[in-house]
Amino acid sequence: MKKNTFYLVVGCIALALLAIFWYSVELHIRFLAEAAFVIAIGIIYLIRKKVTDIIDDERSARISEQASIRTFQVFWVAFAAMSIGAVMQMLYVPTFSKADFEELHPREILGPRMMGYFQLGLLCLMIFLYVGFRIYYARKYGDWETDEE
Amino acid sequence: MPGNTGTGRPMKNKIKVFRAMNDLTQEDLAQAIGVTRQTILAIEKGKYVPSLDLAFRISRHFRVNIEEVFQYDEAALTIDID
Repeated sequence: MKKNTFYLVVGCIALALLAIFWYSVELHIRFLAEAAFVIAIGIIYLIRKKVTDIIDDERSARISEQASIRTFQVFWVAFAAMSIGAVMQMLYVPTFSKADFEELHPREILGPRMMGYFQLGLLCLMIFLYVGFRIYYARKYGDWETDEE
Repeated sequence: MPGNTGTGRPMKNKIKVFRAMNDLTQEDLAQAIGVTRQTILAIEKGKYVPSLDLAFRISRHFRVNIEEVFQYDEAALTIDID
């Protein structure tokens, strides 16, 4: 399979995925969107193996590797910080003057909608970090170098 | 321009010279050793230091020893240490 055909297929899969997402939101079937996403990514990985004119050499592998490592190094801190906050909310067992504390800080539990926004924020953070680091390392390892040839 | 191995040690290469001697374009060399043209360009410009495997493949392609193509810049290393 040619590279352009692959990108065309990926575009079609993305459109189909968008339609499924919309359908699952309308019908409130969360599982449908989740399953569709996993299947779509699986299909893309399988098709990617059939592409003949994309060369994955050691430099591109190194760019991906470095970008992934750096993304993980930054992302886990943000993820851990948010998780700590979530765990504190879950536990919520103040031991010092509990009555006074509860008066000053009435219990606030994140609703499912707010948790969804937090998850979306984390997802966006991860994507932005990866894209940013990828651009940085691609530039570092000479992706946009020009030559006289 | 010296490249960086990731350990702060500089590496130089003469790929461009050997390409000219063998009348090869970057694309020709890239196809022959199974990498992208951008990788050859990045190595020539010292932006990327190839693995030992790729360095051997490049030098074998030119039928020379690896040290004729790639040079370890001891002088720059000494400056780094000082």
